[in-house]
Parts: sequence; C-alpha cells; structure tokens
Amino acid sequence: MKNWIKALPLVAVLFMGFTAQAAEKPKVIRFAFPGSTIVLGKPSALVNNIIVDQQLLEKEFAKDGIKIEVSNFVTAGPGVNEALAAGLADFANYGDFPIVTGKAGGLKTKFILATDVGANTYIIGRTDLHIKGVKDLKGRSFGIFKGTNLQPPFIKLLLANGLTEKDVRTVNLNTTDAQAALIAKSIDAIGIGADRPVVDLGVGEVIGDTNQLPLSTRATTGLVVQEDFAKKYPDIVKRVVKVYLQANRFASDEKNREVLLKILVNTGAKYKYLKSEYALLPLKVRHNPLLTQGNTVHYKDLVDFSEHNKLIRKKFDVDQWIDKSYEQAALKELGLENYWAK
Amino acid sequence: MISNADLQAARKQIPEPSVKPEKTESVVQENAGTAEVDEDSQAATKRDLQGLTSDVAVLRDQLTRQLDSNIANTARSLTIGGTLQNRYTAVTSTNQPTSPNGFTVNAAILSFSGALKKDYEEGRNLTYALSLISTAATNTFQPYDAYLQYAIFPSLDIEKPNFNITFGQQAIPFGLEPQVGEDKKPAAVYAIFAGANGWNLAQRDLGVQLKGDLFPFVDLAYTYRVPLIQYQLGIFNGSNWNTAETNKSKDVVGRIVLNAPVDYNSDFRGLSIGSSFYSGEKDLAQSNGTLITGGSGKGTRNRYGADIAYVASPFGFTAEYAVGDDDRVISGTTIANAVKSTIKSKAYTATLFYEWGEQFLNQVRNQSRLDDWWPKTYQPFIRYDYFDPDTSVANNESSVLTYGFNFFFAQTTKLQLNYNVSNLKNTNVKQSQFIAQFQFGF
Repeated sequence: MKNWIKALPLVAVLFMGFTAQAAEKPKVIRFAFPGSTIVLGKPSALVNNIIVDQQLLEKEFAKDGIKIEVSNFVTAGPGVNEALAAGLADFANYGDFPIVTGKAGGLKTKFILATDVGANTYIIGRTDLHIKGVKDLKGRSFGIFKGTNLQPPFIKLLLANGLTEKDVRTVNLNTTDAQAALIAKSIDAIGIGADRPVVDLGVGEVIGDTNQLPLSTRATTGLVVQEDFAKKYPDIVKRVVKVYLQANRFASDEKNREVLLKILVNTGAKYKYLKSEYALLPLKVRHNPLLTQGNTVHYKDLVDFSEHNKLIRKKFDVDQWIDKSYEQAALKELGLENYWAK
Repeated sequence: MISNADLQAARKQIPEPSVKPEKTESVVQENAGTAEVDEDSQAATKRDLQGLTSDVAVLRDQLTRQLDSNIANTARSLTIGGTLQNRYTAVTSTNQPTSPNGFTVNAAILSFSGALKKDYEEGRNLTYALSLISTAATNTFQPYDAYLQYAIFPSLDIEKPNFNITFGQQAIPFGLEPQVGEDKKPAAVYAIFAGANGWNLAQRDLGVQLKGDLFPFVDLAYTYRVPLIQYQLGIFNGSNWNTAETNKSKDVVGRIVLNAPVDYNSDFRGLSIGSSFYSGEKDLAQSNGTLITGGSGKGTRNRYGADIAYVASPFGFTAEYAVGDDDRVISGTTIANAVKSTIKSKAYTATLFYEWGEQFLNQVRNQSRLDDWWPKTYQPFIRYDYFDPDTSVANNESSVLTYGFNFFFAQTTKLQLNYNVSNLKNTNVKQSQFIAQFQFGF
C-alpha cells in the first residue's frame, strides 16, 4: 500500500509529461482569410490561394495527422478580426489596416510574416462628370468600404492632393454596392482595388491611384498568429511560416507570372486589370515576405496615421508585436536567407 | 528594408519599364491581346462571330419568353419571407383538468418587404413591410406588420446617427422582452407581461413612431457600431391591432436605451440599460369588462419599465421590471356616476443564457463557401418570470420558471426545448409544461 502511495508522484509526473507531449501538437489548425465575393469558396489574396490550391498546409501537416481548416470571410478584415476575437482562428493572413485596427482593439496576436506589399487602391470617377483628378473630388460624394485596406490609402491620396476626408462626402459602401451606386449615377466616385469592371462598362474612369504615392503608403498584407497558440505550439508556428515562405517564393518567381494571374482570375477578377496591377512591381518586391525594417516602419506609420485620423483609439508597440523568430528559423531551413531583399 | 530606391533598382530587373498606370494599362492590354492570339492559333472568322451573335440572340429570346411565362414580377423590389413554428406541447396541472397534449402550428408568418425608393447616395430609403400572421388561436391570416418607413437621416455612414419614421401597424416601443430578437429572448413564449395574459405589449398597434440613435461609437476592426443613446417615441391608437380606434385619445409610448460605448473587445460590450413608458387612455369598463356609457377614452392605462442587458456572446443576461396603472369602474354604469379605482400591477423577468457556436457572430457567419454551411450553435438558458395583475390583491400572481435549450442547426432553423414550471396563484394551479418547437424560416 505504502509503495503504491509512493508511486503516486511518479504517476503524476508521467501523466503531466503525457499531457505536455499531447499539447505539442494540435488536432486542427484554423486559418481565417478574406474571401472572394465573386467566386464562392475562394480566398481573395494571391498567397492564400496558392496555399489552398496547392494544399501546401495539408501536405506539411499530413504526417502529423493535423487537420487544416480554412474559413474565407466575405466580410473581409472585420470578419477575420471577429473570428480571431472569438477564438475561432489560430492564424490569419489579411490586410494591414484591419490587422492594425484589430490589434489596437485588443486582439492578442503576434505579427510573424509579411505576405504582399504595394497593392494599389484606385479612385474611379464617373465618366459623365469628367472628374479631372483626386483634387477635383472636393465636395463630391465618394463611396468606399470603411474598415478595409482601401480606407487609409484613400485618405493618403486625399492628403497628397491637398484635401482631407472632410472635403468629400464619404459614404460607407462595400465594393459591390459602391460599383452599383456608380453605375446608377447615385455617387460621384468610388475607391476600389485593382479589379475595376465599372471602367469596362464605360461608367467610370481611373482618376487617381496609390501608384503615385511612395511604396510604404500602399496597402500590404501579413500573417498573424494568436499569442496563446504561438506560446503553446512554437514549432507548428515555424512550420506554418515555412509554408508561407514557400508560397511567397512561388509568387516571387517571374517565371510564374502568368500562372499567378490565372490563379487570381479564378477568384473572379479580370485578367487585364490584374496584369496591369502586377506589372507595376517586380514579383520579388511585391511578394517579399521578410519582416524588414521597412515593414516595421510601415506598420508604425500606419498605427500613427490611424490614431491621428481617429481610426483607432489607442496605439500599440509595433516592435513588441512583431516576432521575427519564426521567419528566421524557417528561412534557414529552406535556405532562402538571401533570396529576398532585406 | 524596402525603400523606393530599392524599388527603382528592382524595377530595372524586369523587362518592362515603370510607366504611369494609364500607359501601363494600354501597353498591357495590347500585350494581353497579342498573347491571347498567340495562345489560340486559329483566329475567329467573320462567320464564327455571326454564328455566335445568332446564338446569343436565340438564348436572349428564350430567356425573355421564360421570364414572361414562368417568373413572377413585382412593380418594386420585393423580398418574400416567412416564419413557421411547429410545436408539440405537453402539460400536467394540479387543480385543473389535464390540458390536451398535442401538435400545433403555433404561428405562421408570411412577410413581404422591400424598398419603394432606394437612395444609393445617402441611404434615405423609403421601405415597406407587410406580414400576415396566423396563430394556433386564430387559424386565420391577418395583417401583422403593415408599415411604411423612411430614413430621415442618411443611413449609409455607420459613424453617423440614424433617425427614421415608421407609419402603420407595427411593434410598440416598450421594453426589452416585447420587441427584441432571438439574441436576447431565447424562450419560446413571451414573458407574461408581454403576452396576452399580461399587458399584451408584444402585440402590434396602429400609429406612427420616430426611432433613432445618437453618438454612435464605431470599432472599424469589426465594423461594430454601438450608439450611446437609442430612442423611440410613438403615438398609437391603443385599441389593439387590426382594430379601429374606439376613442379620440391616443397612447404615447417611448423608450430610451443607454449602451456602453466601448470597443468590440471590451468586457463591457453588450451592456445596456433601458427605460420605457406607456401613457394612454382606454375606454372605462367595469370589472366584468362591460363598457360604461360616456366612458370612451376616460380610463388611465400607464406602464413604466426599466431593463438591463448584458449580451456579449457567449454569455448573456437580461432583466426587466415594469409596473402598470389601469383604471376600472367599481360601481356605476355611466361616466357621471362611475366610481373609479386604479389597479396597480407589476412584472419582472430575468434570463440567463450561454451559447456554443457562431450563430450570433455577424461577421463570422458570412463566409465565402460553396456548400450550404451554417454554424451549429447550442444555447441553454434559464428564465424566471413574474406577473402580478393587481398588487392590492394577495395571492393572485403568476410565476414561471423556464429551463430551456435552443439548437440552431441551419441558417433560419432552430429547435427550442422549453420546460416551464408555473405557479398560477390566481387560479390555484401549478403546472408543468414541456414545449418542443421547430422554428424555421424561408
């Protein structure tokens, strides 16, 4: 009896060891992406599509028996933030502005990789109004999807043209409704991403875009992980980052340019607009995933900008938030330390 | 670090020089056209194009004929919807013959709604709603909601206050329980004070209502909007729904709610306190319900309520307290000789619930998926409900303790299981009631 009692601590230690070992591997890893509103079931961003189409995550974690779950939210960044807040996603790869608003609002995330830089926002004016440029937007109505990656570049475009948000009548419209309102001639101009079918219809024309602004002012995307998940499964996080680096390596190769455009066409966007958008930057720049000093500065600027423009209520420490350790370990494993510009 | 200098250097590595967007677009279009021709070595002939044009014309004609013969049209935008409640009820009672157990269609609602004028620029929309309801008690469809609504303030900007006016038959703006949705009212039946055995506040009435909010607080990270103040003020017949007015006086009903103006991630998200009043006059009647001569619109009917709610998924709590004053005639048959008294009544109810699932996460529910996915959500709850129709009379109050469970398993469908333990002191009846109800919509 006494021997049995003495053995209890050993049993307890063994049990703790067993549970600790079990915690090294989750049963499922959950990803949240902005989803295509045109083709159901597809993410909207290129790198997320590469990962889903080529089943890179499934292949990486198949041997561990870990299931991969992907949710694509048509509500874009705000939907991704809600999933993170509700603990329904472990990782999310989405736009910088919702990443910042989510973090400023209290999400416990770590920023672990960049995935896309330099995405342009286009200002489309109604053709019949003959709007000469962004400066000519003063006093006009303007539709934009607030809370998404479109909002800060739009404000920056206004500022670059001597205007502020107060100089235009901003209307909060999602991209589909904004285009419908432009076609119905109920609004004077809209802000959208690269795909701009209203131009094809002859009702709108490009009157400005962020390509005129410095690269650092344009929209980017990035990969975040829940802090708790990262603490619990650091090796899993490194392997997810490794998969994203592989996808970015694929997206950075000029030989794949046409393949990449076709991947995006499958999300419902028009080929010619994608081609012109992606012609503006070398792929190796556009899909440089490294957490460079430039990224840090970009996010610090975005946090300052958002607070100044009352888009967030409190700032956060970007340096503390960015964690390069997973990226560095994964780069080394893949031998890609010197592939992208640092 | 990626700087513009690095960018310029990198641009030199790709064959096409950087040019302005408009120029790039034209170059790209030309190249794209060339590439497409290269990919398809057989160019389309004029005959091919004529054939294609002919095919498109045939398809268009077929579609037009199909639309004319098979598709219903409306003069304006129309959304048709409906809600049905299929219920099984089992009751055991003391001091009362056992009520029959059985299946019923508790309610069937057919609804039509849409915009009579849609304002894309500012959202000052003119909308309508018409719904017809048939209940287990009536088994006849009759108008339920029948109103016209206009957004006086622009409604598209979530950072601006809302203000609209509603005219017609509509819900009365009193209290929490009578008018909230299923996110705050998990029980299958209304609290007594809101239902027909109480003050019937959940019922519709005919009138006009102003509804709006002030100082909206927006968290862009979640497109979460919460106004600091919400208000409603309406004037109604007070003569019940689908009923012509019986007197000249009008009932005034109002409600104000203060919400915690906090970010989505705040612990105080979903906290609100509200207060309501109903000030009206009704036709004076004796205790047996007989109206007295000349008593049209001469009796007081007042209600005052206060409520608190804390609903932040997955946890929710609501509590409500209300009192009422109703004049009635003790003796006399005319207004000249009537002796009146005022009956004071009171009610309170509290609900506590918890949920597993994403049913009430508005952003998360909107996923880009090919299948007919909907998150399964489980919601156990408990509610205590109390109503005293006359505080001057002892042992005439009713109380109901409800243990419930809701299972949301499709976008518009849920299974509700309620077990009600009632103590109806006015009839000296103790009752146990089990309700299983499928509520589904289309």
